[in-house]
Amino acid sequence: MKTHIPSYMLDAFGAQGIDTGKLIYAIHTDLTSSGAGADVYTAVDDRAMYVLCGVEKVTRMDGARRIVALYEAMSLETYPLSELGELKSERLLSTGRLCGVQEDGDAKLLLVFSVGCLTFVERLIKAVNNIKEGRDPLFEVPVDDRLFCPKCGARYPEPDRKICPKCLDQIGITRRLMRFFGDYKARVALIIAVMLLGTVFSVLSPYIGTRLLLDEVLTEGGGYYGLVGAIVLVILAVRAIGVALQILYGYVLAKTVPWIVYDLKLKIFEAMQRLSVSFYTSKRTGALMNRVNNDANSIYWFFVDGMPYLVVNLFTFTGVILLMCILNFRLAIASLIIVPATIGLFRILWGVFRRFHHKDWVYRSQLNSMVSDSISGQRVIKAYAREDEESGRFSGVSGKQAGIDIRANNVGFTAFPLIYLLMFAGQVIVTVMGSMMVLRGEITLGTMLTFVAYLTMLYGPLEFMSWVSNWWARCVDAAQRVFEIIDAKPDVDEPESPVILSELKGDIEVRDAWFEYDPATPVLRGLSLTVEAGKMLGVAGKTGAGKSTLANLIARLYDVTGGAVEIDGVNVKKLSLAQLRGSVGIVSQDIYLFIGTIADNIRYAKPDSGIEDVIRAAKAASAHDFIMNLPDGYETRVGAGGQDLSGGEKQRLSIARTIIQNPKILILDEATAAMDTETEAAIQASLAKLQSGRTTISIAHRLSTLRDADSLAVIGEGKVVEIGTHAELMAKKGEYHKLYSIQMEGLKVINMDA
Amino acid sequence: MPAQTQTATLADAIDIGFLDLAKSEFFITPGGFTGLRYKGAEHKRVSLRRALPIGSPGSYISVADHENKEIGIIKSIDALTGKQLEIVTAELGHRYYCPEISEIKSVKDKLGYVYMELTVIVDGKKHAKNCAVKDVNRNIRMLDSDRLIIFDVDGNRYLIHSLEALDKKSLKRLEPYLF
Repeated sequence: MKTHIPSYMLDAFGAQGIDTGKLIYAIHTDLTSSGAGADVYTAVDDRAMYVLCGVEKVTRMDGARRIVALYEAMSLETYPLSELGELKSERLLSTGRLCGVQEDGDAKLLLVFSVGCLTFVERLIKAVNNIKEGRDPLFEVPVDDRLFCPKCGARYPEPDRKICPKCLDQIGITRRLMRFFGDYKARVALIIAVMLLGTVFSVLSPYIGTRLLLDEVLTEGGGYYGLVGAIVLVILAVRAIGVALQILYGYVLAKTVPWIVYDLKLKIFEAMQRLSVSFYTSKRTGALMNRVNNDANSIYWFFVDGMPYLVVNLFTFTGVILLMCILNFRLAIASLIIVPATIGLFRILWGVFRRFHHKDWVYRSQLNSMVSDSISGQRVIKAYAREDEESGRFSGVSGKQAGIDIRANNVGFTAFPLIYLLMFAGQVIVTVMGSMMVLRGEITLGTMLTFVAYLTMLYGPLEFMSWVSNWWARCVDAAQRVFEIIDAKPDVDEPESPVILSELKGDIEVRDAWFEYDPATPVLRGLSLTVEAGKMLGVAGKTGAGKSTLANLIARLYDVTGGAVEIDGVNVKKLSLAQLRGSVGIVSQDIYLFIGTIADNIRYAKPDSGIEDVIRAAKAASAHDFIMNLPDGYETRVGAGGQDLSGGEKQRLSIARTIIQNPKILILDEATAAMDTETEAAIQASLAKLQSGRTTISIAHRLSTLRDADSLAVIGEGKVVEIGTHAELMAKKGEYHKLYSIQMEGLKVINMDA
Repeated sequence: MPAQTQTATLADAIDIGFLDLAKSEFFITPGGFTGLRYKGAEHKRVSLRRALPIGSPGSYISVADHENKEIGIIKSIDALTGKQLEIVTAELGHRYYCPEISEIKSVKDKLGYVYMELTVIVDGKKHAKNCAVKDVNRNIRMLDSDRLIIFDVDGNRYLIHSLEALDKKSLKRLEPYLF
């Protein structure tokens, strides 16, 4: 039998006289039942659950960087499994509770923990349920020993991703990034060769322009004495070759890097299309858009600006120092005295600027949000006469940003000249020392002036090297975020060998379905229902009862956490995703129109549909008349920046989109909620025609729209509360009768008022 | 001349539903939960939520039954005494568990995560705590001009009651993330 007990807990349980050989599963939580901080070990065997409360003494062993825990136990509670009742976890705000609930509703508080431990408690519940039901104890229980980074001992920020940002291999990420250059090897080799050659010419330039000119051409006895014309030609040639190489380098780089970034953006976008809906609900849209655009651009600029300059500056720095040492070793050492101090000062300064930039970035984000808020909320702002207050809010943040900009500018305008003054001190040292050496005849005037010229050539690389590490870190950071998307595994994935039904009939069975969007907050709690192929099921229930979730699970936008959803007797998890999604059409409350024409939006699911089918679908959805009233008819552009449509109009386009898809299973999730009664009746009539021969699940608040359904299900608290025909449920005088009567009373009042 | 009618105030129209503390009795159930006896009814499990958890944590406490239906609102816990105050404070302490930071030993910014080594105070005792914070602009938040809250990747919360009272070294380490 498989077990999972972290090794450091075994001694602690053993010391309490518990037979550790029989333990099956254990977790570590962090609070006592009164809410005090502690190290609580909870373990189960086939008989009981043990809650051991105590304090760990953690020691980090040098060298091995391993963590060893000594445990001081304070109390032990033993709960026989037969007396535990049903285990349930509850999430409070920043803590959670594990309770044992008896059949009569009485509950026992078993554990209190900080919310970070909720995942482990959920696993414990699964293990206990498996033991009670005689299954393999670790069936569907993720077993994970590696919660802590083996290198530094820090806990992984996201337990599902074994990435420790503290120890992340930046070189490894850069290497992976460099693989994007793989398809462009020849061009990359050419870029580097041209860059290096260009650097050789720029490093040689002062030597030829100063030392050769002064010592060999203009000095009597020099090797090329008097050949002024020739030396000028050589200087010109060196410059011209340098410029030509620069042009060639820029040209090749401009032709290569955009394609690499294109590859990268495409890979991110494709990966995002592959991911499940849950991925998008857990991330902010803005952050995701940043990843596609800004992060890819950060990488772009690093490769366009960062990498080439890194190579050029490193090569220039090494080349210049080498040449200085060859010319005169003593003078070279003296002129390098200021180098460490300059690098140190630059690093401090960039640290300060980074903080300023970060604050500036935050204020800028706040201002952007305010502008966006103000544009979207203009009606409300004006209706409540809050224009001055909004301006005041904007002015406050804008003022803070101005303050940061002023401070950054002040620091920049003061510190940089001081650093350049320090660099100039290096020139002074070389000039003083060099002049004395010239006077003593140890070096020539040309050598001294070449030294001064070389020293100025060191400024650029020095400044660059002080901040390139930050730039590199930012690029690796962006790359890591990009790889996170590329590597992410979708929650809802195509099965390895998908079942493709020769003909999908449309029988639906939902069996004991459990589902939760957030841990420990189930939306569906063992929901079961069946719909025969070709029949219509009406679904009613209060807001938040789980009606839309049911639609999402049938279309497999999410997977159930327990139980199963079957279509024609096959679990949807085994069905081909393409066949499933092609056979299930959802008209939901969330309507999204893509940027494009109305016709394109209607035929989104079937792009090859002809215009006649588009018009037919629009007519069936009662959309044709309003479309014809628009100046550009079916060619009216909608979506962001396009024609404004009302909620009802958008919903009708969404219905037309589903009609053209011609799905075998039709799910109408409040499909006509945003329409007036007349339009609703027209669409209902069209939908009624469309429903023939299809399995239809219609979710509605207005129960009058569900009267013709073959059967009706009332959902409450994530379960089916009642099921039957309209007449049966009315006769039953239960939940449906109550809801129906309330709505009818409401209508009567409206009619009386009218 | 038409008769003048007086406009009803909001207070006339809507009853806020304050709990009559004279008729309420909080108790701990044998299972370890907080319960309430109120106007003859016994609620075996109640939950307590603050309406103003940041600005006024001791005022306007909503008391709801296990079905999440509000029984009433405690205007101020100052009106409670003895055992009643103890039970209510403990229940709120469970829900709004938030250790106080007394020292920030190190802050390291690595690839979008900020790693912090903290000393926190729980039940008057100091504990070492390491945490990772993602998206610092959202998760390190000023509550007012002097108080700050930090949310780590696990959803835990840590509070700094007074930035002014924090030692200089800790403040300097935190400074780049204060807005």
